[in-house]
Amino acid sequence: METVLSTDKLTKNFGRLCAVNRLDLEVQRGQVFGMLGPNGSGKTTTLGMLMGVTIPTSGSFTWFGERATHITRKKIGAVLEHPIFYPYLSGQKNLELNATIKGADFSNIGKVLELVELHERKHDKYKTYSLGMKQRLAIASALVSDPIILILDEPTNGLDPMGIAQIREIIKRIAESGKTIILASHLLDEVQKVCTHFAILRKGNLVHSGPVDEVGKGEETVEVVAYHDDLSHILHEFRGSLSVKQDNGKFLVRMRDDFHSVDLNKFLFEKGITASHLVTQKKSLEKQFLEILQETQG
Amino acid sequence: MLHLLKIDLKKMTSYRTFWVICGLYFFTLAFVTASGMEFLKWLASFIEGFGQEININRIPLYHFPDVWQNLVFISGFFKVVLAIMVVISITNEYQYRTLRQNVIDGLSRWEFLQSKIFTNILLSLMSVAMVFIIGLVTGFIYSPEIEWNYVFTDLEFFPAYFLEIFAFLSYALMLGILVQRSGLTIILLLLSRMIEFIILLLLRQSGVDIYDLKNFFPMQSIGNLVSIPFPRYAFQEIQDYVALAAVLIALTWAFLFNYFSYLKLKRADI
Repeated sequence: METVLSTDKLTKNFGRLCAVNRLDLEVQRGQVFGMLGPNGSGKTTTLGMLMGVTIPTSGSFTWFGERATHITRKKIGAVLEHPIFYPYLSGQKNLELNATIKGADFSNIGKVLELVELHERKHDKYKTYSLGMKQRLAIASALVSDPIILILDEPTNGLDPMGIAQIREIIKRIAESGKTIILASHLLDEVQKVCTHFAILRKGNLVHSGPVDEVGKGEETVEVVAYHDDLSHILHEFRGSLSVKQDNGKFLVRMRDDFHSVDLNKFLFEKGITASHLVTQKKSLEKQFLEILQETQG
Repeated sequence: MLHLLKIDLKKMTSYRTFWVICGLYFFTLAFVTASGMEFLKWLASFIEGFGQEININRIPLYHFPDVWQNLVFISGFFKVVLAIMVVISITNEYQYRTLRQNVIDGLSRWEFLQSKIFTNILLSLMSVAMVFIIGLVTGFIYSPEIEWNYVFTDLEFFPAYFLEIFAFLSYALMLGILVQRSGLTIILLLLSRMIEFIILLLLRQSGVDIYDLKNFFPMQSIGNLVSIPFPRYAFQEIQDYVALAAVLIALTWAFLFNYFSYLKLKRADI
């Protein structure tokens, strides 16, 4: 697999505050890479360094295996923090300017405006756009040069549910076209829905990095409901149970590694108990995120 | 180079403020420089004896080659309007944060600065062309007889005028990059000459001989390029040439202004 981005001990200090601390990241071609972290965890600072607007205190990074210059940036489409355009120019003129800087063909502009469903408003001044339209224009501008990599920083920030769904749909469509996407967000749900890989930052430190698929692997929790007076006791007897908790009329059984709901079901059946409710709780990214943040606390 | 100029012009040509300011600049410049004789007539209308003792038609305000220095000197006062336009152009980039997006999109910081410098050069050249054409037209109208060697005398005032404007616009650009806020930058720009004057006075008070030293100060050096020509009509001695020393000092300042802009842009988080 081809590495498109690699950072080596990338660090940024703002005075005494360490915004990004010795960050090592790798992004491979074709990944949809989520950067997670609470507000102020260093996501935008990191992306700012990668895009040449924030000057690193120390450390280095490579795009496509080469030291980055403004030429490499032309191959990347990026929007950091919030959409930035000339308010007095129309959407079309703003994109023409982006395309001129990137050396891209103007013929792409129509296509990307179509993709983000803005072609009907393209001759209106940017300052008349709603927030959702601004965000969509930002995605269009990032796509105008048909880049190899797309960087989106909180692309759904401040949008209403419909706007969020629209942007998510657009991102999915772009991901399907095989582009590498780096998506910074504090919305875990968003990352889980669109990303293949993710990293978690906390106070400038990388605390976790791995594929999204692996979320939910490892120990399982199974919800059980059955009509039996001494169910708690019996569940404790099960070889695979790590702990048993009662919650809202259900029993939550945390399973040891390599034990699954099937084993528990079999065990109960052998004891002559039929479960009326047996569900494996899928561990959400949110839960894992909070766990990881808690583990690294202090 | 043309590519970078095109980028900056693309930003400006759909910006109404740009057209309003440039329009006012070129209109007032053309109007004022072309109406010198009317101005004299107006003076004569209420200053007793002015029109009688001195026949205003014999003041060779627009005669070749006087016309060149006269017009270039007067035009120099208007450069502050263009400089304010330059300040608005650069501080907008900070206010809208479009400088940041330009760099993200793949413009190097140096290229960004170049795009602004090229626009400054273009504005300076357009001013030169404008004043040259007005000088040519008014010269042909008012000169009693046309002698071609006079028409082409003293044209060195135009390179000096170009440098005067370009150096001042470079100063405005640098101020904008350093201060980043339009209001404050414009005030500083307007007060620059005054602040320089105060510094010189303070230096003099503390015993420094400023007679030669003042010529090395930036605003003074820009002003030194074209000397005031009008005392010659009161039979006084004037400097009717461009001094090489003044050119070298102003050229150095123009270079330094842009270099300071470069240093600031290169190091800053944007």
